Amino acid sequence: MIKHHPTSNVLSGFVAGDLPASVAIIVASHVELCRECANHVQQLTEQAAMQAFDMTADDDWLNDQVQLGDTSPQHINDIDHDGIDSNDMELACDSRAMIDAITASPAQVKSAVAQTVTEIEVAGQRISLPRAMKSIGLREWQGLGKLSRARLALDDDELRASLLHIDKGGSVPCHTHKGFEITLLLQGSFDDEMGHYTAGDFIWLDGDHTHQPITQEGCVCLTVSSDAIHFTQGMSQLLNPIGRFIY
Amino acid sequence: MQQTVSKGYPKRESNIIANNIETQVPPELSHWLDSVAMQRDKQAFTALFQFFAPKIRRFGIKQLGSEAQANELVQETMTNVWRKAHLYNVDKGAATTWVYTVMRNASFDMLRRIKAKNEQNLGDDIWPIDMAQDEAQSEESNFGDHLMEKQMLNYVNTLPPAQQAVVKGVYYQELSQEQLAQQLGVPIGTVKSRLRLALAKLKQQMGEQYND
Ligand SMILES: [Zn+2]
Repeated sequence: MIKHHPTSNVLSGFVAGDLPASVAIIVASHVELCRECANHVQQLTEQAAMQAFDMTADDDWLNDQVQLGDTSPQHINDIDHDGIDSNDMELACDSRAMIDAITASPAQVKSAVAQTVTEIEVAGQRISLPRAMKSIGLREWQGLGKLSRARLALDDDELRASLLHIDKGGSVPCHTHKGFEITLLLQGSFDDEMGHYTAGDFIWLDGDHTHQPITQEGCVCLTVSSDAIHFTQGMSQLLNPIGRFIY
Repeated sequence: MQQTVSKGYPKRESNIIANNIETQVPPELSHWLDSVAMQRDKQAFTALFQFFAPKIRRFGIKQLGSEAQANELVQETMTNVWRKAHLYNVDKGAATTWVYTVMRNASFDMLRRIKAKNEQNLGDDIWPIDMAQDEAQSEESNFGDHLMEKQMLNYVNTLPPAQQAVVKGVYYQELSQEQLAQQLGVPIGTVKSRLRLALAKLKQQMGEQYND
């Protein structure tokens, strides 16, 4: 049962295409697992579409119809004399040329867009990766002790996206982030000071949170973070030099 | 030049559009998409183009910030509509929602190209446009085995023996530093400094190899 979801604001930004790629990917990965958010995204997309293609707000539209819609050449001439902006006329010619060019291209072959599910093996268990990640490669796994991670080969400014595996009984020492950290639990479960998380849960933490995830059964997460993690307690501070390898 | 603009435009449909102006979108949109998918119907595509192009241009100016980019978005979106119309399924949603998805995806990828010079197209992976996708199809990809433990052990095994013992004690046997100090018969300060040296060396090795 998924209990932790992206906020409505995040979903709106997702639908608008305004989120950075790695954040859009982790939100999409949650939406694949969560019927509730999938429905919400569907509604938001319908609304965004109505807004983008709103006829009543579109003044150009009527002009375009007059300009492009009437079939008789004489009529066009009449309109021309009535002073249609020559810019618009150019635009109309461009449109015709564009339509001709586009319709000269073939339909896409169906098999070329077949959806695929990628599975990987982590610690002897097969897990399916989100479809949203299917074109993105994984770098090699690396880690220390019970923690390991594989960074996604995704270029997204300062944001880092990774798969993180914590083996049975493992934990990430208490740490903070200067920026933010998003975790999507793909398999298994973990606990931290704020609760118990199961597959599909989406957790967005800002820099002012400190947490220490612990997993009994082991878990695999997709993570996006804006900065290297910073360990805050005792001996785990020794790990700070390698903190950047974990997230 | 203007005459060619109007040639072949389905007038009947344009009247229907005009009559439906109060009720938002013309009901023919999904029918036109079907005709494009099934019959490669250029007239139907032209009707779709007339309806969507000005709106896509407006969206593009807002999202991408220039006329030229906006026109490219029209080209890109309408090309995808022409080439991928068979992925639309009238039973699963409105034509406007599908075209919005195609447009937003193209805009997202263009923005990444402009801002980050990144040519990788991700839009259609993040927001699927295939409404008839085959859930059963699955392909296993070969990322190799989970090499973490072995690989890590390889790194650790290149350390001087004294440092190896400390790292293995802490991370593989999960001993406390006190326990380790006792076991190795050295002061705890020595355990700490060996661990520090070992981690610095590991960091350097991983950094060299992965360089990110
Ligand atoms: Zn959700």
